[in-house]
This record gives sequence, C-alpha cells and structure tokens, in this order.
Amino acid sequence: MQKRNKYTEIEDFLSDESFQSWILTNVDQDGWEEWTLESRQRAKLVEDARLMLLAMKVPDTELTKSDIHRALQSTWLKIREKENKKTVQGLNLSVFRKRFLTAIAATLVIGLAASWYYNNYSKTENNIVTYKELIDKNSEGLVEQTNNSNKPQIITLSDGSSVLLQPDSKLSYPKIFTGNERKVYLSGEGFFEISKNPKKPFFVYANEIVTKVVGTSFRVKAYSDQPDVEILVRTGKVKVKSNELSSKSNDEEIVLLPNQALRFLRNDMKFNKITNITQDPVLVQSVGNIEQLSFEFNDIPVSQILETIEQAYLVDIDYPKNKLSDCHLTTSLSDQPLTEKLKIVCKSIGGNTSFEMNGNQIIITSEGCN
Amino acid sequence: MKTRILQANLVDDNTLWNDLILGDEKSFSLLFERHYSDLVSYGNSLSPFAEKVQDCVQDVFTDVWVYRSSLQSAVVVKAYLLSSVRKRIARLYERDHIFRKTASTDDIAFLLEFSVENDLLDDDYATKEKVTHLNKLLNELPARQKEALYLRYHQALSVEQIAEMLDVNYQSASNLLHRGLLTLRKEWKGALSLITLVFSSSL
Repeated sequence: MQKRNKYTEIEDFLSDESFQSWILTNVDQDGWEEWTLESRQRAKLVEDARLMLLAMKVPDTELTKSDIHRALQSTWLKIREKENKKTVQGLNLSVFRKRFLTAIAATLVIGLAASWYYNNYSKTENNIVTYKELIDKNSEGLVEQTNNSNKPQIITLSDGSSVLLQPDSKLSYPKIFTGNERKVYLSGEGFFEISKNPKKPFFVYANEIVTKVVGTSFRVKAYSDQPDVEILVRTGKVKVKSNELSSKSNDEEIVLLPNQALRFLRNDMKFNKITNITQDPVLVQSVGNIEQLSFEFNDIPVSQILETIEQAYLVDIDYPKNKLSDCHLTTSLSDQPLTEKLKIVCKSIGGNTSFEMNGNQIIITSEGCN
Repeated sequence: MKTRILQANLVDDNTLWNDLILGDEKSFSLLFERHYSDLVSYGNSLSPFAEKVQDCVQDVFTDVWVYRSSLQSAVVVKAYLLSSVRKRIARLYERDHIFRKTASTDDIAFLLEFSVENDLLDDDYATKEKVTHLNKLLNELPARQKEALYLRYHQALSVEQIAEMLDVNYQSASNLLHRGLLTLRKEWKGALSLITLVFSSSL
C-alpha cells in the first residue's frame, strides 16, 4: 500500500482494486479513509475518483450458476462436434492425397495382399474367440439382452452397475452375481459404469480380451465382425489382458487410466495403447453422449440434473416438477452408475424422495426438498 | 453425497491455462465458469443480440479446447479471451452483412451505457447530482474512448493489452484513455462550479 503515496492522477486510483472495493462495496481494508484525510489535496483527488467510479457502473449480467453450467455443457457438445468434423476432414484429405500414390503402389499391393490373406486365414482358426464360445464355456445360467433397436439401451445389473448397450450389441450376465467375481460377456459396444466393490472384481469378456475393474466407468467396443477391440476408460483404473481361450494368449496385462484407450488388433494379437484419445480419429468420432456430459453440479436445479441424466442414458424420468421446482443441488455424480446417481439425487432432495425403474422409464416420487 | 467446498478460486488463471493446454478438462471447465459471465457482458456491449453473443463466447472456448496444442502458455488469460470475443463478434458482423465491405474489428461500436451506482442512498443530494451529470458526460464520449475506459477499469486490462485488443499502438491506447478522462474533467470542472453555485444559492 506504499504505492498510493505516489498517486497523482485520478487514473491511479481508478485502477486500484483496493480503492475500488472501498468505494463500491464499502470494504476499507487498507485504511483509505484515514489516508485520505491526511492531506487536503489528496482528499480532492480521492473525491473526484470516487465520483468517477460511482458514475461508471456497468449493468450486471444476469447469469446464474445454472445458466453458466448449461453454457458449459453446450460448449462441450460444440467441442465434440468440431473435433469430429476436424478428424473427418483430416481423413478425407489423407484419402485424397493417397490417390496420387495408388497407381504406383497398386502392383505392390497385390503381392502383399496375397500373403496377408494367407496369414490371416491360418490365424483365424486358432486365435479368434467369439461371443458364442465364451457363452458356451460358462455354466452358470445367464441372461442375454440384445439391443436390436437403433438407440442405446440401459441395463442395470444386480450389483447396481449400469451398462449402456449400443445398437446391434449383446450382453450376457448372471441374473444375480454369486461368488467372488462378477463376469459379463459382451458382443458389440457398451459403456460400463461399475459399482465399487474391491472384494468382487468385475470382468468384461469381449472377443479375445478380458477387462478387469474394481469400480469405474469405461467403454468396450468388440463387434465380432470387426478387426479390433477397443477399450476406453473414463474414470478409475482398468486392467486388460487377453483371454486364455485364445491360443496365442500371453500374460501381458495392460493398465489403463482415465482417458486412455487400448486397441487390440485381433489378427496380430497385439495391444496398442493410446494415451491421447483426442489424437485418435476413430475414437474421437465415436464418443457417446454420456461421455461428453459433465456430472459435476454446483448449485444446479434438480430439473436440470435430471435432464442431464435423461440425455446421458436415454431414459425418461418422470418427476413432480412443481414440487421440485425450487430444489438446487451441489454434487458430483461422475463416477457413479445410473442407479447410484438416482439414489444420490433422491437422498439429497430428501423429503421421502424415491425412485422406481422400469426399463427406460424412471419414476421419481417426492414431496419436495427440505 | 459429498458437498465439496470449491477451492477453484485459489488456483490462478495461468496455472489452469497451462493445465488446459496439456489436456485437463477440469481446468478448462473452471476457467469457463470463472470468465464466462464477464465475457458475455463485454460481448453484450458490442452487440445487441444477446443470444448470438453467448454463442460467440462459447465458440471462443470451443476453439481454445480444440486448438489447445497451439496455444501460447505465457498469455494474460483474461486479455486473450476478451480479445477473442471481440474478434468473433466482428466476424459475426462480417457474415451477417455480406454486402458490406467494411467490416473489421474497428467497425464494431461499443454500445454499453455506463450506469450510476444505485446504492447512493446514503449520499447527499449534491453527490447524486454530480454523479448523474458525470455519468451523462461519460456516455457521450466517443465509443472507442468509452471502450478503453471500460477495459481498463472494469476488466482490469493494462494499457498494453488494450492497445493490442483495439489494434492500435501503445501511445494511441494511452491517448484514448487520457483523452477520455481529460474531456470529462474539463467539462466537468465547468459544470461542477455551476452546480455548486446553483446549490449554494438555493440554500
């Protein structure tokens, strides 16, 4: 606060934050009042600066926390859109460039292709593990759910974990998890949010690889007719290794952290770890709704939180809009499966709030928040 | 449920900015939440279309994330964002008036009207009178001078940063600020003595 003794212009005062807060909010932390009275000349200057500040008020923007939160959500959507466009353009461009080389490379490719097919064919017999083989191996009674629709479908498992199953995908799981392990079998693509239970690790069997987790969220993409299997981790930690059913399997185990991914090349039985998922055009393009939305809420209306959940899991939530119109919550739901998210929301609202789930329909009953 | 106490405000802009460049989504969100409101209010002073302004500000943040790997790490974050918003809005004008040739950042006018601090209840009549008069003078200043004053005293930019934003050299920016206040003081001094006279004669 020594610098103020050298102030000679109104400008000096106007840009002084401590001075501003004295004038505009009446918080005099640095003893401005006393300092001002020390000299008459100084008092005149201070008075002018004060009037100037009072005359320069700027209208407040009326943005609430929830306005800003909503703006942030829509910005993330814009970002994903733009990233997709960018990589698609990038791909188009490289295809275009490659054309120039096609003619030169053509003769070469034929030879290579022949040997490639040969290799592939012989490998197929011993390496490739299919969903059917996996299921046959399992003796417990399994429930199979197939998504033949064109929208993702939510499945809730007996331990509270949720799986968002993509179209043309199948998931087999025991009606109730018994024993010390939780095992499910996937063909196609699913986004998993696993309820935490370190004593009962969770395994996803998909084609030739096994993903082991304790509690986390991640995506597995393993279509039987596609050349690779992808695992993408959003939260927590995941271990991936190849299935012992696959003849060439080795003991290699790969650890994945949030926003890391792994691509398993089925023909070569090779793992490719991807540490920067945004640089991978294929992964970037296939990001689902649920992975883009933020579940960090800071004083946000319940209606908006439920809307976010609806968008993420493609479910319908029915709730008493009037009774909950004034309820705001601050909570972090990022690392939770759907049922857990709903439980937390209901518990936070209080007032005997509960929910019921029936397929894609969720009904919340509540007497309002306390 | 854990209700967390946000410690976000303790982390300074540049730390967040550098984490963002390295791909940290949380830092991006924190910077967004910290500056969004201010940027929108600055945008609104340049364009009367409130909805498009929000769009522009979101586009600025979108580009920040998408092109984060090419961002400079040593910037004044606030100044960078403000100036990006200004350029965005200028571009918007360009697109909306395809047939207008002259659309550059210089052409967007600063529309904001300064208002009077409402909380003058404790103050005497004379102060109110003075403040209102001063406010009128401020609002009559040329748009560029007004904008410079706004950036200096409301968004706390330095003269260098203002120069860069308004695309002029340091001296011109400093002149804009100075001339603004100078005109004000000249007119005001005359008016003030008048007011005092009127006031004292009415006693």
